[in-house]
Formats: sequence, structure tokens, C-alpha cells
Amino acid sequence: MYLMVILNGLTMAGYLFIMAIGLNLSFGLMRICNMNHGTFYLLGGFIGWSVVKATGNWWLGLVVVAAAVGLIAFLEEFLLLRRARGKTTVETLITLSLSIIGTDLIIAIWTGKTRQIDIPDFAKGIYRVGNYFFPKFNVLIILFAVAIGFIFWLIYQKTKIGMILRAGVDNFEIVATCGINIKRLFTAVFTVSGALAGIAGVFGGTYQMLVSGQDGTVMIYTLLVVIIGGIGSFGGAIVGSIVIGLIYTVGTMLAPQFSYFFLFAPVALVLAFRPQGLFGKVGRIDD
Amino acid sequence: MIKSKTDKFRLSGLLALLLFLIAVPMLSSSFLITMMIRYMYYGLLTISFAFLASQLGLFSLMVPVSLTICGYIIGLGVLRWNMSIWLAILLGILGSQLFAALCGVMVNKSKGISFLMLTLVISQLVWALSLQWTTVTNGTTGLLDIRFPEYINIFSAQPNVNQYYWTFIVFVLCVALVFLLTRSSYGLRLRGVRDSESRMMALGYHTSTLKWTAFMIANLISAIAGVLYVYNNGMITPDVMTLSSTNKSLISSILGGAGTPLLGSMIGTVIYRTFDVMLSGLTRRYLTLVGLLFLTVVMILPDGITSVAKRFRRGKRHE
Repeated sequence: MYLMVILNGLTMAGYLFIMAIGLNLSFGLMRICNMNHGTFYLLGGFIGWSVVKATGNWWLGLVVVAAAVGLIAFLEEFLLLRRARGKTTVETLITLSLSIIGTDLIIAIWTGKTRQIDIPDFAKGIYRVGNYFFPKFNVLIILFAVAIGFIFWLIYQKTKIGMILRAGVDNFEIVATCGINIKRLFTAVFTVSGALAGIAGVFGGTYQMLVSGQDGTVMIYTLLVVIIGGIGSFGGAIVGSIVIGLIYTVGTMLAPQFSYFFLFAPVALVLAFRPQGLFGKVGRIDD
Repeated sequence: MIKSKTDKFRLSGLLALLLFLIAVPMLSSSFLITMMIRYMYYGLLTISFAFLASQLGLFSLMVPVSLTICGYIIGLGVLRWNMSIWLAILLGILGSQLFAALCGVMVNKSKGISFLMLTLVISQLVWALSLQWTTVTNGTTGLLDIRFPEYINIFSAQPNVNQYYWTFIVFVLCVALVFLLTRSSYGLRLRGVRDSESRMMALGYHTSTLKWTAFMIANLISAIAGVLYVYNNGMITPDVMTLSSTNKSLISSILGGAGTPLLGSMIGTVIYRTFDVMLSGLTRRYLTLVGLLFLTVVMILPDGITSVAKRFRRGKRHE
């Protein structure tokens, strides 16, 4: 029983983590609070649903979603955000207006009905360990999140791009003066962050229902993860998503009335005692 | 006091506006009266947002929080605890101020986007509570049938005319309060913090106290809007606390111009709410249109519609 709850919590942590990497990157590097990150999630989920329904191929859905949502993120950055560069509030307001438009258009296109992507054949069924049963798909999400996390850790810590990113989170003006094309870097980061949110949407949409209006809640969960972990911190995103995932599932089991409320308790504690987040650096948050 | 021609012009304009607003019920279109009442309480909400945005440069996404808490306490007081409505209102305002005081301590350290983000989290917390704590808040149904006593109907036999005048009186008092605050040395100090907090600190001001009190004032205005909301609708539901309801006051303020807390807020609210009512009748995709309108304003006129007039005037002067 408890093991199952923990597994569910970790599953949720899995797709929240994929969301949080993207939000963290755009937040830490570009100083934008991307308010339509949740819209990317829901859009990814619904596009994935359509593709999987039409072709029956789940992996194809994942690829198409990554490309489509990535393209939308690219256009958003290239056409809109770039023109307001440096004015963080204006940038945030642009993403807010896009989230309003996106939420409404998703209802217009997918009629606002509740959908769920079919679990692909290879992930149907359960693993049995002793007396415990684990649905295969939950394990798949967790493994996939770990894999994405590992790849990102490698890129972030071991490559030159990662070096530029880390330096950019600390101070992107200095990075720009070192001759790095920061404009192109921002566009790339925002595109990748959008694609990741779309991928998280496919996972979330297979694991749970896709409900219109869910974009707001997922957005908040991801924000909570980022606040707990600390803005721009990779390790923080891991710890934060596990904390939020577990609290949500355990809270839902113990007191459904307050499941959402419980999520805010660790956030209040973190804010009271460590405003920069568990792994955040002092001074970064207030820029 | 009256120094120049423009001041005289402004004063007579203000008087004409006041007379018009007092005369509205005599024109006696009940639709117009209902719309005016809505403009006023939603306008207070926008003013609450614009006060912080213009004086401190802080964009708060928890504008309706005090409205919601105050509304629910009034509802609970009257319906569950059988209080008199006045005691319930007092408790509502005190309760929402207490919550705001705690939040103020928490969000005080942040500014810019992190302030925006933290207030968003708080607003979602209150929304979640109002929706999920069903034993107290009745969930999506909300608290219905909150009535005000008959003896306050002193203006007219028609209920909506009474509602109009009471709302109008409270509204004018709030606007006057904000006007005086922004013109006082207190407002000047707040704008000092907005422009450079470190310099204000160096001058010996307690900037965190200044920010905290401004936060409290903004929430007080929102709580008063809550009293008016309950008075005019007789109910309170989680709908007032959704993300889109927060966005509405933000969009209204940006439309009118966040730099001008009173004029801009009211112009923005009137335009937005009229738009809202008209478009939602015309098309089901009106949120897309609202989003596009918002996007256009943010991209082209980041200082809002009132900035056009200002720019125009400045252009003339240069000629």
C-alpha cells in the first residue's frame, strides 16, 4: 500500500522533474517566469493524444510533440520575447497573455473533453516483486526522467555548452562580453525548455487524465518545485520534484480535502528559513 | 491650492464626473447601474494592484486574496455563526489583514519576478482552500444568500439604486484615500524605494516597513472590494479567486497604464469589463481575443492607454 503510494509519488516527480528542468533553465538564465510553461505541458499532452490516436505509435507521438511544442516555443521566443529583452516584467506579461490564448485555443481545438493517451503495448502490465505489484508505465516514466536528468547533468557539467549555461545563470552579461552569442543561446534554451514541457505532457497525459484547465495546476506544481529547489539549480529540481510528488500523493491519500494545501507547507518553510531555495545561491533570486 | 489653468480644468472635470456618477441611477437603466457597480468594485481590485505596481514597482498576483478571505469570513459569520453583518464585516477585514500581514513578511524580501511568483503561489493556495475545504467553504457552490439588513436602504425603494449609492460612497472614500496616499510624503518614499531601495536604506528609511505597509494598504483595498462584492452579489464562490480572475485585474491595470494607479485603473477596468461582457455574448472564443488584446497592449503600449494621451500632450508642447 505505502510502497504503491511512494511509487505514484515518484512517477509524478518524474514528469514534474522534466517540467522543472525547462522552467529552471528559462528562469535561471533568461530571468523570465514563463507563465505558459503549463500550457506547453497541456498542448504537448493533447498533440500527443491526437498523434497516438491517429497512428497508434506512442514513440512517434513523443517525437512529434517534442518537435511541435519546441517549434512553438521557438516562435514565441524569436517573434515576441526577443523584442522585450531586458524588461523582465514585460516578458512575463507576454508569456501570461500567451497562456490565456493557449488555454482557450486548446479548448477550441480539442473541445475541452477529458482525454487520456493509450498506454503503449510495451508498457502495459505490471512487474511483480514478491508481494508487490508495479505498473510498468510508472517505472518507465521514472526511468525516462532519470535518463533525461542524467543526460542533462552530463551536458550541464561536462560540456562546453553546459559551462556557458552555468556561467549564464550566474551572470549572462559577462558571458555576452566573452563573445558568446547570448541571443542564440536564449532562443535555444527556450526551445528546449518548451520541448521538454511537451514531452512531460505526453508522459503526464498517459499516466493521468488530460483536463482543460490543468495547465494552471501543473504550472503551479512546477513553480513549487523550482521555489523549493532554488532557481537555476539542477540538484534542487530533483529534490524539489520528489518532495512535491510525494507530498501530493501522500496528502491525497490521507486528507483529500487538503491535498493541494499540503503542497504549500514545505514551500512556506523553505521561504521562511531559506528564501533562495534549498540549493539556490544567495542573491540570484532578486535580480 | 488651485495653481494653474490645467488644475482648474481638472477640478471641473472631476466635479462633472462626480455629478454624472451621482446622477446615474436617475437615468435609470438597470443594466447601466449593474455595470457601474461592477466597474466600481472591480475597479477597487485593479486599484489595489496598481497601487503596488505604480508606487513600488511590484506586480502582485494575489490581488483577489483579501477579497476572497474577507468575503468568506463575512459569509461564514452571517450564515454559520449567526453574527450581525457589521461584526462579520469587521472580522472579515481584520482576518484578511492578518493573513496579508503574514504574507507580507514572507514576500517582503523579494522583488521583480520572484515577488510575482510568490504572490501567485499564495493566490493559488487560497484558491485551493476555498475550493477543497468543502466542509467550511461549500466547495464550488460557495456561500450563498448573504443578506444585508433592510434598514440600510435609505436612498430609494429600488434595491439596486441603494446598492449603487452605498458602493459609490465606499468607492469614493477608497479612491480619495489612495489619492491622498500617493500625493503624500509617504507615497514619495514608496516611489523612492521603487527607484532605488539601497539609496533609501542609506538615507535611513526602513524600506522593509515601508514595503510592508504598502502591501497592507493594497490588501485593505482588496478586502473592501470584497465587502462590496458580497454586498452586491449576496454570495462568495471560489470563482473570484481563480487564476483568470487574478489576470483580469492585472490586464485591466496594464490596459489603462500601471503607472497611474487611479485614472489608468478605472479606464482599464471600464474598457476591460465592457469588452468582457460584450465579447462573451458574441463569441465563445472571447478569451483568445482578450489574450490578443493584452498581448498587443503589452507589446505596443507597455505603459497603457493613458500613456497615449500623455505622449500626445508632450508632443504638442514640443511644437
